[in-house]
Order: sequence, then C-alpha cells, then structure tokens
Amino acid sequence: MELTTTPSNETHLCDSCFSPVGADDQFCPHCGYPLKGTPEEQKTFKSKQIVNSIDMADYQKKLRIAANTLYYLCGIFILAAIVLFFVHKDEDQVLAYVIPNLILAVIFLLLGAFTKKQPLACVISGLCLYVIVQVLNAMVDIKTLFSGIYIKIFIILFLIRGIKSAIEVDRIRKESNLV
Amino acid sequence: METDPNELQPGRKACVQCGELIAAKNKFCNHCGASQYAILQLTYKDRWILIKQAAFYYLLDLGICLLALVDAFETLSWLVIFDISSAVIAIAFFAYNWDDTKSCLRWESFSLRKLLTYCGIAIAGQLVVFYAVTWLNITIFSRDVYYYGFFEGYSHGRLLLIFFVAVFPALFEELAYRGYLLQVLLKATDEQQAVYITSLMFAFIHLSFISLFWLVPFALFLGFTRIKEKTIWYGVFIHFSFNLTSCLLDIYAHR
Repeated sequence: MELTTTPSNETHLCDSCFSPVGADDQFCPHCGYPLKGTPEEQKTFKSKQIVNSIDMADYQKKLRIAANTLYYLCGIFILAAIVLFFVHKDEDQVLAYVIPNLILAVIFLLLGAFTKKQPLACVISGLCLYVIVQVLNAMVDIKTLFSGIYIKIFIILFLIRGIKSAIEVDRIRKESNLV
Repeated sequence: METDPNELQPGRKACVQCGELIAAKNKFCNHCGASQYAILQLTYKDRWILIKQAAFYYLLDLGICLLALVDAFETLSWLVIFDISSAVIAIAFFAYNWDDTKSCLRWESFSLRKLLTYCGIAIAGQLVVFYAVTWLNITIFSRDVYYYGFFEGYSHGRLLLIFFVAVFPALFEELAYRGYLLQVLLKATDEQQAVYITSLMFAFIHLSFISLFWLVPFALFLGFTRIKEKTIWYGVFIHFSFNLTSCLLDIYAHR
C-alpha cells in the first residue's frame, strides 16, 4: 500500500487507520499500529483487527438478544399493568397497581434502547432490576417465583451472556477505536 | 513523590505504560504503542471477575435490604443490626480493594464554597422531591409515608431518625456505592458506564419503583460529582444534607 504524504508540511498517514501521524512516531497515536515495526509485527496487528471484527459480529448478536430480552420485559410489564388495571379498576387504589408496572416498563424500554450505546450499563442494570422484581414478588407470594420458571431462567441467561459480550464489545470498540 | 505531568505541560499526559509524555488526545502511546484506555490494561477474565465481585457485594446488600422489609424485623434493634451489617460489608469490600479505593478518601480539591454550593443544591433538591413525593403518595396510594412515626415512641426519637436516615446512610452508602462499587467498575468499564451502573444499582436497592424518578437523577448527580472531584467526601455531605432536609421536613412540615 502506498503512503499518501503531503510534502509541503510532512504529514504522514497511518497505514492502518489513515489518520495523520508524526514522522517520529513509533506507533500510531490513534489506533496503535506499529508504524516503525517489522513487517511481521504490522501483519500481526492487522490480523488481530480482522479477528476483532469477526468476534465483534458474534458479540453484537448476543447483545442484540439481550436488548430484545429487555424489550420483551418492557412488554410483559405493560401487559401486567393493563391486566391489573382491569382487575382492580373499581378500587380506589387502582393506580397503585398500575403505575409501578408502567414505571418498570419504561425503564426496561429505555435500557433496551440504550443497549447499543452503553451496552454494559444497560444489561447489568436490566439484570439487577429483573432480579429485584422477582425477589420482591416472591416475598409477597413465593409461588410467583416458580411460575414461568423456564422463561425466567432464559431471561437471566440471555442477560448474563449480554454482560459478557458487553465487556468484549467495550474492549474491541476501544481497541479498534470505534468509540 | 508523585508529580503530575499534566500540570507541567498543558495538553500532555504521561503514557500509562512507559511514562513518556504524549499528547493528551492520544489513544495509544506513540512511543510504546500501549493503549491509554484504562480498561484495556485488564484482560477480559480480570474484568469479569471484578464484575462478579461487584455483583456479590450487591447481592449481600440487597439481601439485607430485603430482610429489613419483613414485618417481623421492623424494630429498632433489628434496624441497628441491619445497618451495622451493611456498614461492615461495605467496609470489608472497600478494604479488600484498598489499593484502588484509597484514592477516593483523599480530599485534595477541598473548597468550602464548593461544599456549601453542593449542599445548597442538595437541600433545594430535597424540597422539590419532598413535596413531589408527598403529592404522589397521596394521589396514587391515598396515603402519606411518615418516617418519624417509626421513631416517635423512642426517647430521643428525633436524634435516632437523623442518625439512621441522615448520618449512617450518607457515610456508608457513599462508601459502598461511590467508593467501592464505582472504583471497581471504573477498572472494568469506562467512566460514563461505571457511573450509570452504580447510580441505577443504588436507585434500585431502595426497592421503591415510584421513587426512581428522583433516586436516579440524585444518584447520577452523586456519581458525576465523585468523578469530577475525585473524592467521596462531597458526596457524603450532599447525601447528608439531602437526607437531613428530608428528616427535618418529616418531623416539622408534616404536622
């Protein structure tokens, strides 16, 4: 590959990310490419970037599943709010049943929507909130813990897998400078 | 003695690995190639372990908060036991990560004016929150929550209320969430996400979904103050004045 140089002000461009680099730089300050490294080192760097981009696709798929899980939870709580509204609609305290569920729905919706931007924060918070809601329900009535237990386990597994992927996505984004 | 290269040359920073002075905007060191992102210094496994440790702390704290909700434990002696247990756990985790956490106990940016400004914001915030919460509780639940009622029967009830609602949480919640948890997450992820995670976890552990509308902004304010000032002490005072205002309003405005 040819280096594009502007002779007038001696600007060099990085071979890997094409951002301007100083003439004396050993490494690109923008992407870490070994500018003065051996061809071997430069090749290793580039293949690592390719591996990263392949891994990234897999991690992002798992993150998408985690985000969809959060959207699903949002739907569940909206549904719960609607059902509770019709069950208790003649009581004075109908709002006390409906509003907490709507608040949870809004939180899960927001967490799902921001998973792309702040993956780790959203998935961890989503998992925390989900566990807390389950435990609080179980404290009122232990039987609620076991209703739909398989779905609950899947939700928790998807979210934990999302957390693991989020850690890697964070790393790759910073390593390849996709921030 | 530590010297801060940022002070010597504006726009420059020391490389995290080789210590050479490099441009502050550099993402990688142009001398040794090391990434300047703190989180890239740790491997995936190390960061996963840190997150698991944080989760373990959170589950313990959550367990205590849930037990405190059980009717049988709603007595003063149980309150003391729960508060002491959560303080001991917070101190234990803080001490276990002492090398990382000790820096946030320093208060180098101390300024009385700043402290008073922060406390002023906290008091103003509590005034808004207090009246909003009272209105919400009456509108939605047709009832009014009244913390002082719990302490009213005891001698020195007011002092007990202030101690258990204002002093104790301000100190130990800050130590746990802005001290330990935030510091550990700063190693596992970036600043912004660490603040979001600790703020939401802090808000959720109060176990009141209606209160989230003020808990989340309050926790974010504490979190970003902690990052900006690099100390937990402003947070402790903000938290204290916020809760103290709530206690005083509870005692006097509810009459």
